Amino acid sequence: MDLTRILFEDFAPAAIGLFYVLACAAVATFGYGVYVQVRKYGRGVPVAFSGELLARFKAMLGTVLTHRTIARRDRMAGGAHRLIFYGFLLLFLGTATITLDYDILGPLFGVHFWHGKFYLGFSLVLDVAGVLLTAGLIYMMYRRGWLRPPKLDYARPDRQPADPDYDRSAYRREDWAFLWTLVVIAATGYFLEAARLVWLADKPDIWDTRWWSPAGAVLAEGLRAAGMTNTGGAALRLELWWLHGLLALVFIALIPFTKVKHIFTAAGSLMLRDPLAAQRLPRVPEEEKRVGAQYITDFSWKQLLNLDACTKCGRCHEACPARATGAPLSPRDVILSLREFANKTLSSADLPPEVELDVHGKGPGQVAMETLWACRTCMACVEVCPVAIEHVPVIVQMRRKLVEEGQMDPQLKKTLQTIHKTGNSFGESKRKRAAWTKALPFPVRDARKEPVDVLWFVGDYASFDPRNQKVTQGFASLLHEAGVNYGILYEGESNAGNDVRRVGEEGLYETLAAANVKAMAGAAFKSIVTTDPHSFNTIRNEYPDFGGRYEIQHYTTLVLKLLQEGRVKLARKLGLRVTFHDPCHLGRFNKGYEAPRDILRLLGCELVEMGRCRANSFCCGAGGGRIWIPDPVGADKPAHNRMREAAAIPGLQVYVVSCPKDLTMFEDALKTTGNEGKFVVRELIELLREAIEQEQAAPTPGVVAA
Amino acid sequence: MKLLVAVKQVAALDEDFEIRADGRDVEADFLIRDVNEWDDYSLEEALKIKEAAASPVEVVAVSVGPEDADEALRKCLAKGADRAIRVWDEAIEGSDSIAIARVLAAVARKESPQMLFAGVQSSDHAFASTGVATAAFLDWPHAAVVANLTYTPGGDTAVFRRELEGGVLHEMQIECPAVLTIQLGINTPRYASLRSIKQAAAKPIEVLSLQDLGIAAPDVGESGSLSRVRRMYIPDKGRAEMIEGDVEEQAARLAQIIKDAIGGAA
Repeated sequence: MDLTRILFEDFAPAAIGLFYVLACAAVATFGYGVYVQVRKYGRGVPVAFSGELLARFKAMLGTVLTHRTIARRDRMAGGAHRLIFYGFLLLFLGTATITLDYDILGPLFGVHFWHGKFYLGFSLVLDVAGVLLTAGLIYMMYRRGWLRPPKLDYARPDRQPADPDYDRSAYRREDWAFLWTLVVIAATGYFLEAARLVWLADKPDIWDTRWWSPAGAVLAEGLRAAGMTNTGGAALRLELWWLHGLLALVFIALIPFTKVKHIFTAAGSLMLRDPLAAQRLPRVPEEEKRVGAQYITDFSWKQLLNLDACTKCGRCHEACPARATGAPLSPRDVILSLREFANKTLSSADLPPEVELDVHGKGPGQVAMETLWACRTCMACVEVCPVAIEHVPVIVQMRRKLVEEGQMDPQLKKTLQTIHKTGNSFGESKRKRAAWTKALPFPVRDARKEPVDVLWFVGDYASFDPRNQKVTQGFASLLHEAGVNYGILYEGESNAGNDVRRVGEEGLYETLAAANVKAMAGAAFKSIVTTDPHSFNTIRNEYPDFGGRYEIQHYTTLVLKLLQEGRVKLARKLGLRVTFHDPCHLGRFNKGYEAPRDILRLLGCELVEMGRCRANSFCCGAGGGRIWIPDPVGADKPAHNRMREAAAIPGLQVYVVSCPKDLTMFEDALKTTGNEGKFVVRELIELLREAIEQEQAAPTPGVVAA
Repeated sequence: MKLLVAVKQVAALDEDFEIRADGRDVEADFLIRDVNEWDDYSLEEALKIKEAAASPVEVVAVSVGPEDADEALRKCLAKGADRAIRVWDEAIEGSDSIAIARVLAAVARKESPQMLFAGVQSSDHAFASTGVATAAFLDWPHAAVVANLTYTPGGDTAVFRRELEGGVLHEMQIECPAVLTIQLGINTPRYASLRSIKQAAAKPIEVLSLQDLGIAAPDVGESGSLSRVRRMYIPDKGRAEMIEGDVEEQAARLAQIIKDAIGGAA
């Protein structure tokens, strides 16, 4: 007989039968568990997916195999998970190979391939796989037990210690049980292998090829050195066989009921990823009676699957600007709360009465309105999630329900009413929208009256805020001098609605979007430019759903082009030491990272990046309508947090922004954090104006002297 | 059981406005329309009673005004009013608060509610008399500036509090049906989401004419009013000046100003 491992060697038929019964029971339990989970997801709202299944599968596979998302911003955890993943995968494939040979091809066709050279190679590969797995698991234990990164602390910012669902120790126990179970399965596997070698040490073909199972061979040498005999090996092998086998079966049976299910749910979640989840929020169907998510069953089945994909890795918790400043919100806890709620209410055969499905409130698993209103919809959580959980639409859908009931800050309520009445958040008359043009020495074309190349969508803050009006005028001068044929919509323009939509006032958003689409339909232009990243995002990603398809760019890309073409000429280099703040809606939302940096380089600025930049940029705190909601008095604010980060850059002269709201937020934060006089906050347009203008009256370099 | 709520589509001034050619009002183009703030509170008070009631309560919003008043009524429907009535006729143009009250009283007679709520005043004309004048036409008891109300639907009386000067409260009881004018702050008006307003657009607004109410045209408009607007104008702005410099300079400047003023008067 060719070399192989004889399965169930020396087992009584009854024992083999018992094993098969147990194995079937484990698989049946697994199957039942899967059924319960799928039934749970089936209680969500149906969704249609764009994109082919195959393309989605390929994308998912790429993410999983490369571990790209897990390794981001945490290379060690990514590396360790990669070891566990590939170790586990190989061991699973190994077991499947044996099943294929022994239980399928053998009995059905009399074909066996698991012997000889293939068997030896197989043994080596699986031994190595076990080492990879164990090494990864041990690092994860070290990480949880000794490194204890703050993101793995399950303390909840949205609950008090007395609350019934404050305690997260069950999660901790599960984490450790998971790690230990796998470690013990791996260890018993190696010792089982070693015990078999000791037992069969008399058979030369087995003993002489022992180094094809290097880990088992080392242990076998050890056992023999410690005095273990052949019969001792046989006894140990039998005991370990059952221990290893039973543990493995229990593990399989428990997959759908424990965090182990992330193997499937995370993969599913990645497959269903919506690359524009936060950029393009879901519409509310016209015929829909209720608005937003009130009951757990108002979420889509994809969102319910998202909830189960969470592995509590804490990256969203770490990235969230609300959480970082002590607000009662952690994206992780919103997801976990809803998951616990879904498990509690949707796991049994019958759906409980509607009243028990309400996800709003302060009860176990419910989400409080304070939590929902703390969100800045900055997308940091969505962007960093390694398993493609989309928190922002979940939060906004829940807010829609709060808005419908009027459960919001009075200031916000007032602002929404103002926007409805006047079309802008400043409560100014429509006629005043273009008042900033009056100070210019040249006229600005009315795009409603004459065709233009570039339609400039100005936006609320850039139109009405006195500080931003200076920037707006600067940009107009730049366009004028560069000979760009541009125009604006004057009082035809309304608030773009980006933040109104993120507040959850979908009806008002629809009104604003429709008004702007209509206004733009009445103008002749080739493309749109805007200085406001919020307007940029909604026009670019959301207006197409309302019939408005345009070519639109943020001013930074247009200006860069004008500079490169020599249409904007710089009189001098600024030579400033600057840092750049990526606006959420330009950077994370629309990947506009390079143009502003390229412009800064052309301006002769030395760019020093903050630790949190580009995709990991830290929100100013104004997003999601939070600019209309007063922050709690005395509390830390995201903008303060950011100013402290910038202030740590030695010799920083200018904190450069390219968003009207950023200018407002950070100029305020500069003062309140006591950094006034150390460096200044400037719009990139202002630096451009300084570099363009001939005279040396520039205010910014004055800081150099300070 | 029925509660009638009188609402008004008021006008606010846009930034740069112009006075109408006849000099008696602002050019309509320069007006921004909205629901009278007080009426938000009186509607909310009615809705609160409706929602707390064990038996069905019908809340009916009524407005006297041209078509653009539909917008105000639609907001009421969006918030939860059961019906909306708008009364209009060309003849109503130019009515003062008394003539409007005559119309409202006719609607109240037709609807026979248990209670009629009106705002203390309207933010544009601020007569603060429409509600009480309506009570007079109806010969119903009334109370003005109600800041707190306890009323069980179907009850013969209501207990309410009024705010008086110096923080003193007046607790009173009133026989129903009655007219109450509601003060700001009595409750927190709910938010009418745009979606609910849009959905309310599908709900009907009953439009009544003077004929429907049995009112003769001369009883409304300028002929039915006790007052008429003679002129609307912007008074000359007062001036203020910060006097700077040392004491001597300040005294000199002050003396100059006084001299100028006396000279100007003379």
